[in-house]
Amino acid sequence: MLMLIQDYLIKAVSNYPEKEVIIAGKKRLTYNELLRDSGKIAAWLMRRGLKAGDRAGILMDEPMEYVKSYFGILLAGGVVVAMNSQTTVRSLTYQANNCEISFLLSQLKFVKYVKELSGQVDSLKNVLISSSGDEEVPEKLSFDLENLEDLLQRFFPEPPSFPAVDADGLAQIIYTSGTTGEPNGVMLRHRNLIANTNSIVKYLELTEADRVMAVLPFFYSYGNSLLLTHIAVGGSIVVNQHFLYPNVILDEMAAEKVTGFSGVPSTFAILLNRSSIREYQFPSLRYVTQAGGAMSPKLAREISNILPETDVYIMYGQTEASARLSYLEPEKLISKAGSIGKAIPGVTLNLLDAEGNPVPAGEVGEIVAEGENIMAGYWENPERTARVLKKEGLWTGDLAKKDEEGYFYIVSRKSEMIKSGAHRISPKEIEEVIHEHASVHEVAVIGIKDETLGEKIKACIVLKEGFDLKKMEIMRHCKQSLPPFKIPHDVEFMAELPKTTSGKIRKKELLSA
Amino acid sequence: MLHNQIRAFIFENFIFEEDSEDMLKNDDSFLEKGIIDSTGILEVVMWMEDTFGVHTDDTELIPENLDSVNNLAGFIERKKS
Repeated sequence: MLMLIQDYLIKAVSNYPEKEVIIAGKKRLTYNELLRDSGKIAAWLMRRGLKAGDRAGILMDEPMEYVKSYFGILLAGGVVVAMNSQTTVRSLTYQANNCEISFLLSQLKFVKYVKELSGQVDSLKNVLISSSGDEEVPEKLSFDLENLEDLLQRFFPEPPSFPAVDADGLAQIIYTSGTTGEPNGVMLRHRNLIANTNSIVKYLELTEADRVMAVLPFFYSYGNSLLLTHIAVGGSIVVNQHFLYPNVILDEMAAEKVTGFSGVPSTFAILLNRSSIREYQFPSLRYVTQAGGAMSPKLAREISNILPETDVYIMYGQTEASARLSYLEPEKLISKAGSIGKAIPGVTLNLLDAEGNPVPAGEVGEIVAEGENIMAGYWENPERTARVLKKEGLWTGDLAKKDEEGYFYIVSRKSEMIKSGAHRISPKEIEEVIHEHASVHEVAVIGIKDETLGEKIKACIVLKEGFDLKKMEIMRHCKQSLPPFKIPHDVEFMAELPKTTSGKIRKKELLSA
Repeated sequence: MLHNQIRAFIFENFIFEEDSEDMLKNDDSFLEKGIIDSTGILEVVMWMEDTFGVHTDDTELIPENLDSVNNLAGFIERKKS
């Protein structure tokens, strides 16, 4: 029985030492090389004082360095805090301070952010930086800076011994947007991630022969689970996280003979509508998976038509559940169109009313999940944790109904969270930023339906009397405090916002306008 | 002229600043600079089709045609001729 996430890597190295684990463009990394370099990073972290349970951040978009850092931190007994690389100084500083990271592993291209942490994050003592990128490193910083490539060049005479960590210990903290402004740090223990990884491996029937095309960033829970499931079976991961030119990805999928592909609804919308996918043949492609929000049954059917020999899995989950909660078997794609399927092995899903009583078949209730994969809670936030983790299990905030054969169908979300592309976005965070603009009187941010993104961000703004503003000025203002994916796509200036008698903004009315 | 028209569109829709050489050179990769994401590139394609009346085939959605001001300008010129 495996105990810790790094045991997946150690086992794969003993079974397939010379096999390629990561393929990114022209760069290729074997299991042996991954363990060797992760071991060096772990040794460095320990020598610099990292203790079991200490948090270490990763701010990287280079897949090789990311994966080496990820396992390096785990081998040293640390907790991985993988940060979104599309970020701002504001959110980085918040996360770094919130979970008090003592180490940060990053790249030269992110130095512009890293230097801003100097003097702002007291806990941060050491930064390891990879030289990819061409920024200049400032001289005076409140932490020590070391170069990753130099470190990896060094000769380590003996493999260091790594600390024993309990499977109940934390492995990762993943920040997700909360409905109430600041992001929540989802705490995942080793055993949560192990349980979920093993379950996914089982239902996708993954083996060492599998090679997945990973277009989703590893810092998100979906990308993280692609990484873990394929290392767990000794498979390979072909990485291209720039999904800008889909035909480049399709070429790579064919050339690398990938057996799997995973995406969010917008990934598939782009592939179907703006790529040459119909002109390709993928004889090796065994399965595709879709998660990260509801995909229209029409889109699912089209994918299945274009890839008749490939199994299409619709999946559902949450970061709070390590990733996965349910899946729909490929053979039910048409007969159960629109369904998120049933619970994955090891998970129980119930539909409950607000009092915690089960609702009858056909009626709407909230999905409540139980299983080994459920998070330990939100980092240092017992109030928010208590709102979602109750005696019945994890209250997902997703409202659904179940048919007589037990298949779940999501009806709506309880919260106002916007799902745009692969991102989960809090309207409140954007509203707060826009509200800081001196000429804004009131603002409401909503998600409007979009064929490609799932939802687009729209800001409805009422200006103060006597003020006049252009859309571009709002965008420029947002860009100072928000990463690109949170900048509204549409801005509408309105005379007033629709409200209830108690003064609450009626977002539903804005949505139907 | 064509280059300026492209720059005006990119600055207004993705950079939200006044045009400046410091922020974007004509041969800078949109991808490397992190200026445009996957859905952004579709907006560029739609704008190009509307503005210049050209049709883009799905096989033409590649960096060589789209990933810088120069590449875009060259692509539009080839399509129009």
